[in-house]
Amino acid sequence: MSDALRLVDVWKRYAAHLAVRGLTLTAPSGCIYGILGPNGAGKSTTLRMVMNIIARDSGAIEVLGRAPDARGALRSVGYLPEERGLYRRMRVIDLLVFFGRLKGMSAAAARRDGAVWLERLGLADWRGARLETLSKGMQQKVQFITTVLHHPELLILDEPYAGLDPVNQEVLRETILRTRAEGGTVVLSTHNMNQAEALCDAVCIIAGGSKLLDGSVREVKRRHRGERYRLQLDAATSTPESAKAIEDGLQGMVARLERSAGDMCWDLDLNGRPARAVLETIAGLPVQLERFERLQPSLHEIFIQEVGVAARHAAKVADA
Amino acid sequence: MREILLVVEREVRERVWTRSFLLGTLLFPVFVLAIVLLPTMMGDAPSRELTLIDEAPAPIAQLFVASLNQANGAQPDPAAPTQRRRGTVRYHVAVVAGPERAIRSDLTARMDAEQLDGYVVLPADVRETGEVHFRSTRPSDPGVLRDIRMAATQAIQADRLARAGIDVGTVAELLRPVTVSTGRPDAPGLNVRSERSGFFFGYLVAVVIYFVVALYGSGVTRSVLEEKNNRIAEVLVSTMRATHLMAGKILGVTATVMLQLLVWAVVVTVLITQSGWISEQFSIDPAILNAIAAQPVATLALVAYFVLGFVLFASLFAALGATVSSDQEAQSFQMLFMLPLFVPVLFIVPLTSRPLDPLAWALGMIPFTAPVAMPMRMGAASIPARDVFLSLILLAVTCVLVAVLAGKIYRVGILSTGSRPGFRELLAWIRAG
Repeated sequence: MSDALRLVDVWKRYAAHLAVRGLTLTAPSGCIYGILGPNGAGKSTTLRMVMNIIARDSGAIEVLGRAPDARGALRSVGYLPEERGLYRRMRVIDLLVFFGRLKGMSAAAARRDGAVWLERLGLADWRGARLETLSKGMQQKVQFITTVLHHPELLILDEPYAGLDPVNQEVLRETILRTRAEGGTVVLSTHNMNQAEALCDAVCIIAGGSKLLDGSVREVKRRHRGERYRLQLDAATSTPESAKAIEDGLQGMVARLERSAGDMCWDLDLNGRPARAVLETIAGLPVQLERFERLQPSLHEIFIQEVGVAARHAAKVADA
Repeated sequence: MREILLVVEREVRERVWTRSFLLGTLLFPVFVLAIVLLPTMMGDAPSRELTLIDEAPAPIAQLFVASLNQANGAQPDPAAPTQRRRGTVRYHVAVVAGPERAIRSDLTARMDAEQLDGYVVLPADVRETGEVHFRSTRPSDPGVLRDIRMAATQAIQADRLARAGIDVGTVAELLRPVTVSTGRPDAPGLNVRSERSGFFFGYLVAVVIYFVVALYGSGVTRSVLEEKNNRIAEVLVSTMRATHLMAGKILGVTATVMLQLLVWAVVVTVLITQSGWISEQFSIDPAILNAIAAQPVATLALVAYFVLGFVLFASLFAALGATVSSDQEAQSFQMLFMLPLFVPVLFIVPLTSRPLDPLAWALGMIPFTAPVAMPMRMGAASIPARDVFLSLILLAVTCVLVAVLAGKIYRVGILSTGSRPGFRELLAWIRAG
């Protein structure tokens, strides 16, 4: 599988601020790739360099196998900037035709596909209206159509969920998933970890312009899963004696034993002891085991942990 | 190239399909016609009731009355069919015998009752003193004073000539002015001059350039500012080069302006050629069209001054739009940018009366003043072709340089937010662009 987007050691400095520091990342074709980071992490700057809106100071960028400043390299890319805006006095369909033609479509094809998209997003009745007469949400939908109208191979969405109501968020999610299903690639930036976890195949977390980690979501979570397990007894057959048996049986065997959400539920930290030994111990107790699983950290937890470590490190460096 | 044309098309459509453009383009000629037609339609030409107190020897009073209605082109007989010029006043003159003091109070009363506009006294010694008196209780209309002065002068001169035994017609024929046609034996200079309309035409072109730059130039700034502030620029610049976007915008606005002027030019041409009455109303010699047709190179040069001048200033206005962050901020700079175009208007007298002097030559060579100064000069005299071409080349080269610099500023500025850059930062933008 080829890569839709590749950055190698990319740097960008604004007057008094280093926005991106040696960023290297790879978004494989056909996936949904999330660039995650707190505010001011350098996400938008990175995407703007990818879109050749601003120039990088050094490093290499490849978009669909070509440098972004090569002629026509971004024609198969759809870009939704973080701050949205359109020609307010234009009519909706004229605007779609203009952007479609800019991306190489014929006027007829842009008009036809634009009408299909307007229908799909519930804006068919507004095709002849001027943008300034539409609500903000409607304008965002129109802008989204301008991004996807020309069937881009790569969609670059900068904070795509910002300002969208739940219904439109769902429309956007479906469109992103459909793009992937049709073989396209989506690169999106966000600081909403739940959305990223639900949507992305791979992520790159950046903070202070530097990469903290990257890889497929499964791989990232695997790397951060640690030694935490959850144990749950069958609620129907368990009694307070069962709970006491567990706590007495495992006490001293694991580093941490914490009664969790349910009455018959514990979180354990095995601290290097094999899970098999724990299971054997439980097997010898008078309890009915419902579940014993290794806990996966959420992307949100990984993000908080990684960004927190990076922030503490930066503070230490600053102090030194 | 395709994307530039797309931007041009969008700019033209956005501007042309607006109520203001359609009204401006179609109603402007109607408005001008209305200005011409309304006074005629609203009733008779103005007339003045005068009393002439005749104390002078005959036939000065008769000569004066006859001259008065001829002085401004009107016929003495109101019933006679005639083409009257705008502003022509018809005089009704009652001749009475003096002396003035005997009837002064009566005349004053009639003036107070608005039955009389004033009275003229031809004194007994008018031949010797050459002085007549005009009395009125109302503020005097300068046109009426001029007509009375001319009529009195003609009457006294005719009387003097007759007494000396000289025929007035013979004198007029003998004193007929001589016309001098100008030009060089080897290369006829470039001008668009006909005897009567040269000044008018050059002045018109200059005024049109000035106002079109003022009106549409601010449109360029506003349009750039809109793209910058609502971030369309980011999407566009990710698809096309910023300089192409700027070029498309400027060419689009230029095309819109040319379309509007073309409509007006066609209307004016039709009116001038189809109606002698119209050209008479505006004091335009229809020969101006022949002059334009006979001087295609000069006419092309004028069009080139217009287009290059507009593009030059539009580039500056585009860069301005990319540099500022609000309309108010832009407006304060626009006047500054317009100043060079205003300089030739300040020097209109030397430019049109001494168009070959060094001052006029210099204003014609400086690219920022040439678009206004050169049409003025070419309207006033035959300008050597070498000067016109040199000036056009300087203008074209400056146009390209300014467009490139503006493009560099635009490229960075349109994606920048925050406070307006200082001069040093602008230089950095130019280096980075």
